[in-house]
Amino acid sequence: MQFVEGLKTTVLLALVSGALGMIVGLLAAAAKLSRFAPLRVVVGAYTTIVRGVPELLIILLIYFGGTVAISSFVGRYVEINAFSAGVLALTIVFGAYTAEIFRGAVLSISRGQIEAARSLGLHPWQTWLLIILPLMMRIALPALGNQWFSLIKETSLISIVGLTDIMRVAAVGAGSMRAPLTFYLAASALYLFLTSLALVVFNLLERRFAVRGH
Amino acid sequence: MRAAIATSLPESQIAPAAGGVQARGIEKRLGNVEVLRGVTLDVAAGEIVAILGSSGSGKSTFLRCVNLLTLPDRGDIWVHGEHLRLRPISERDSEPRILDHDQVRRVRASIGMVFQNFNLWPHMTVLENVSAGPVLVNRLTRKAATELGRGYLAKVGLSDKAGSYPRHLSGGQQQRVAIARALAMEPKLLLFDEPTSALDPELVGEVLRVMTALAGEGRTMMIVTHEVAFAREVSSRAAFMHQGRIEEEGSSPAFFLNPTSASLRRFLTAHDERHS
Amino acid sequence: MDAELLLTSMMTLASGIPLTLILTLASLVIGLVLSVPLAFLRTSGNKYFSLPVLAYTYVFRGTPLLVQLFIIYYGLGQIEFIRSSGLWYVLRDPFWCSLLAFSLNSAAYTTEVFRGGILAVPSGMIDAAQAIGMTPLQQKRKIILPIAFRGVLPSYVNEVIALLKASSLASTVTLLEITGLSRKLVSETFAPYEIFIAAGILYLGLTSIFTSGFRVLETRWLNAPPKQAAPDGIIAKQVVHGS
Repeated sequence: MQFVEGLKTTVLLALVSGALGMIVGLLAAAAKLSRFAPLRVVVGAYTTIVRGVPELLIILLIYFGGTVAISSFVGRYVEINAFSAGVLALTIVFGAYTAEIFRGAVLSISRGQIEAARSLGLHPWQTWLLIILPLMMRIALPALGNQWFSLIKETSLISIVGLTDIMRVAAVGAGSMRAPLTFYLAASALYLFLTSLALVVFNLLERRFAVRGH
Repeated sequence: MRAAIATSLPESQIAPAAGGVQARGIEKRLGNVEVLRGVTLDVAAGEIVAILGSSGSGKSTFLRCVNLLTLPDRGDIWVHGEHLRLRPISERDSEPRILDHDQVRRVRASIGMVFQNFNLWPHMTVLENVSAGPVLVNRLTRKAATELGRGYLAKVGLSDKAGSYPRHLSGGQQQRVAIARALAMEPKLLLFDEPTSALDPELVGEVLRVMTALAGEGRTMMIVTHEVAFAREVSSRAAFMHQGRIEEEGSSPAFFLNPTSASLRRFLTAHDERHS
Repeated sequence: MDAELLLTSMMTLASGIPLTLILTLASLVIGLVLSVPLAFLRTSGNKYFSLPVLAYTYVFRGTPLLVQLFIIYYGLGQIEFIRSSGLWYVLRDPFWCSLLAFSLNSAAYTTEVFRGGILAVPSGMIDAAQAIGMTPLQQKRKIILPIAFRGVLPSYVNEVIALLKASSLASTVTLLEITGLSRKLVSETFAPYEIFIAAGILYLGLTSIFTSGFRVLETRWLNAPPKQAAPDGIIAKQVVHGS
């Protein structure tokens, strides 16, 4: 029944880093679309680097790097909280991928739709808030669903730095009960349940909000 | 082996003629639409038959039944005197089936087909498109097939495009390559499925010229087309399809000059108006 | 940040590149070989063929690779039959277990990528192959697969990069590829920034080599841009779709 706690941790980790990651992704997408070149370069480097490096490495860097930073700040050895490190690492990863998705979605909105909004006399910020953002979200929906699907699976990597999620519970159980196959199969069943749930939710969302022709 | 099968066939399935194509009572339903409602048509060896009709009349589906790209639900087909072994639909089987795949491949290899959308293979050069069939199906050596392919490319006037990829060619050129591809199989029968319908008007002429030249060689051809003037010029006989049936058929000049059915008259008049 | 340490770490970690590459390329090849027949079974109209393949790809894509790796490395030993068989010599070795896990995982993803490619082959291309008298095997080998593969090349490259990054999980079963070496080094020196960043630079180098290699392949295969868009311009369409 440790699995219930592990499941809660996994779900919470996915939801928090997914939500924060989408905010980062939105800001990064806006930066990539901005006219200010230095900003585009910096954010471009962020998305390129994060997408070209293993997620595990980013997690290790933030966990151990964070521990070193905090320890030197406090003056004695303090281990960073695995959940916070996990949220930070997954937010950075999720933000980089969703930035590309959002950017692609904005670019695929036709000029006509934006001009139509302008011609109604909407302010540029109103155009963004009322027209571009909702339309972009709908266009991005399928790719976003794929990314959430991956995120759920990536949370399992945080177990490597000691977070008691589904994976960690399975590993502990596998060791103490000497039944690794049983525990890891149970873990995969739980993950399969979560990813299937994500699939169903995004299918429903797509059916409701999908934009034809994208 | 084949004799044993032939003796077990009912009277109606013994080849009515030695060559060409005979189709008897072809029926086909696609979804809820009865596309073919008992089509019967004979094409003798050496004959050029044009099949006309408005879109949705079933003429393309009928042509695809001749080489079994579309399987008829019911009816019999003989190609070069050989009865195609099919299992028609019944209460037990909702889909018709090919009973002898080797026979079908053999027969298909002896029929060249030219499609509306050319259907050249995009990953092969023009020459590879033309020589693939001879190598893979007719088991020619690569060298012999390449030579053969170059010969037919010359015939359609595209020797200089041998190394190009289809997407670098105009529609008219692509269709001529498709004709060379069909010819390279040295078929006994050629099927044309609206070969100029997907072309820009200025590219139609070059394809029709190649087809006219082929017609002069005494080849057996079945041509589904909208080009009435062309059909009148090259065909020895013509058939008009309407709502899944052959409404009228006849020898070429009379068919176009004195149509008997009202629907063919309407079709020809509409066509004349469009082109005058 | 200590630049000198960063450089020396890169030198040390570079000795992990061969193992990273072997794991990636070997599972890539095995995954590719498995996925081609699986993709055709997956797209066959026969449910007895397509459903088992769907179950396989669904499970392997729906669970974390880490779990799959641990089931193979730690879990299979629980089965007495495997422990007592000759298979055990392979399955207790972390290298073979990683290779097996990565190959099965990659095969599942690649199968679905190819499935999309096969379904996107225009029916006219297959009509033409049938009309000429090709056997079903010839149609698949000479027409469907080459067209499908060119169509999905951009998505396939994404899978290759994903696999390269996923090979870092081999470090969790004690293998000393780039990530494994960097973890070992960090536990010895406790300089996580320099060492993990050095590892990151190596991975970035590898991913960009892979991407540019495939880009060369892509321009070779897909040739110069068309002078005139063909009506059946499947290739141009697919590239836009995949990127």
